[in-house]
Amino acid sequence: MADYIFRRLMKSLLTVFISITLTFLIIRLMPADPVSLMVDPKLSPEVQAQMRSNFGLDKPIYVQFGIYIANLLKGNLGYSFKTREPVVLVLLQRLPWTILLMLTTLVISLSVGLPVGIIAAKKRNQIFDRVVNVLITLSISIFIPFISFAFLYVFGYRLHLLPTGGAYTPPPSLGFKYVLDIARHSILPTLTLFLGNAATIILYSRNSMIDVLKEDYIRTAFAKGWNDRYVTRQHALKNALIPTVTITGLMIGSMMGGAIMTETIYAWPGVGRLIYDAVSAMDYPVLQGAFLMLSITVVAMNFITDLIVAKLDPRIRLAGGRA
Amino acid sequence: MSQRSFTSTFRKNRLGLVGFGGVVFFLLLGIFAPLITSYPKGYGTDIMASPSFVHLFGTDGLGLDILSEIIWGARTSIYVSFIAVALAFAIGVPAGLVSGYIRGFPGAIIDTLIDVFLTLPVLPLIIVIAAVVGSSITNVAIVIGLFSWPSLARVTRNATLRVTEMQFIEAARCLGIKQRVILFKHILIVIIGPILVNLTLIMATSVLSEAGLSFLGLGDPSTWSWGTIIKKAWDAGAIIDTPNPYWWWFAPSLSIVFYVVCFNLLGNAINDALNPKGRE
Repeated sequence: MADYIFRRLMKSLLTVFISITLTFLIIRLMPADPVSLMVDPKLSPEVQAQMRSNFGLDKPIYVQFGIYIANLLKGNLGYSFKTREPVVLVLLQRLPWTILLMLTTLVISLSVGLPVGIIAAKKRNQIFDRVVNVLITLSISIFIPFISFAFLYVFGYRLHLLPTGGAYTPPPSLGFKYVLDIARHSILPTLTLFLGNAATIILYSRNSMIDVLKEDYIRTAFAKGWNDRYVTRQHALKNALIPTVTITGLMIGSMMGGAIMTETIYAWPGVGRLIYDAVSAMDYPVLQGAFLMLSITVVAMNFITDLIVAKLDPRIRLAGGRA
Repeated sequence: MSQRSFTSTFRKNRLGLVGFGGVVFFLLLGIFAPLITSYPKGYGTDIMASPSFVHLFGTDGLGLDILSEIIWGARTSIYVSFIAVALAFAIGVPAGLVSGYIRGFPGAIIDTLIDVFLTLPVLPLIIVIAAVVGSSITNVAIVIGLFSWPSLARVTRNATLRVTEMQFIEAARCLGIKQRVILFKHILIVIIGPILVNLTLIMATSVLSEAGLSFLGLGDPSTWSWGTIIKKAWDAGAIIDTPNPYWWWFAPSLSIVFYVVCFNLLGNAINDALNPKGRE
């Protein structure tokens, strides 16, 4: 198991390294002048010259890369063009909101998606399964702003039931009321992301359950006289979970794309909304920092799912771990 | 014989036919857009008119006909899809073939790269690049295409791994046929099915990405795309403000969903026709 975890850790670090390299290369290899992308043109010429030498923009590219990595390790991602604050501080204020949204969505998607997928597998080709299949095709085809608009129109504009934006009603109240307020504001964004993402979980848990139910050991379990419920729970479920958890980990990256649009539309104060604001303000340091921050979050969440898979899969947990 | 059974299985799949019909419809709409309606520009007289016989889907905040905008948007979607698919094919297929066929070092490196790019949050990355390179529809399409290859490479690799074990490849190798020919002729022709299925999915997701980018303000302001129409509606507060021109965002959103559903249905149908056993 240690071997498996070590490999996964190495892969995570490699992924982070590649996203760092990509952000580095994006600003240097583009036709646009890198200075204008990293140094705010509105600053005075002396300060601009100072920043240019800080970033090493007058030195060869490999030296620049070294400086870039050294700065990252110190937690220096540059300064926002818009607010002049350090990018790291801006991002750290926003990140908890995005993580809150993602985790709630993941928990709800898993707790709804797994049972639905497994029931669909058990009732394969019956009406329930067919309806689920149609819903899956619709759900993977959905355009996030479309559901968001539909929700806003129905629950916000027509029914006046739920708030249409923000994460809380300003000024923030205290204690339990605050939590309740946030929960009310998070219903629509969470529901939106849930609809866009649960389909993948349902699809994979259904398909892997179907595969597992075909296995010899399931037939053996039935032959031994166990009832359906026991076989499903004790023999099939755990093995069907493994591919589903793996795909959930891979899904987190694409969920971030949906989160940007969801946060933008509901004015949710997370990294996604920050990206939208940075795009309109041409705030390049924030954009690059936000991408890095999101990749690190995705990689970390992925690593956690890898650990869960390791715990679920006895081939990894017990053996030397060649998975 | 296999040709006949493919088309006959395909024809029996009603949802697949719907998808195929939809795809053809959008293709024709996009190609012949200039013949169907004039390019919406300037100002119209009826501002935010609700759907009527004159304007089937109503008009927007400038009084332009939303149906015409959607028809021209179909042209943009097709354009973006094809560029993205071409690029994904050009990168993903060779990457998958090589990593599946050549064991050891080069294969493993490509495989790891595929893994890494499948993990990364691709849309945020595309957003950063699109913000830097500037918004022209061709730039947007190229950036989307550059990051659509990993899933295709994964599919190609898995299929190649299976085929490489087969005897006819061994025979080809013994005959001294060049590796390049074995890869791009003997193997590619056998695994073209799963690749096609993945390409239809890329056609669909590239339009979702383009609409997302346009919605976030990174699209081409001088070209009509479904995402641009939705962005304009959103900027004008058409969702929760009064007066509420819901038709402004509803029809273009529905077009996106139809487009994507049609390509997904087509992909599913091709998949089913290729593996008839999977459906039993």
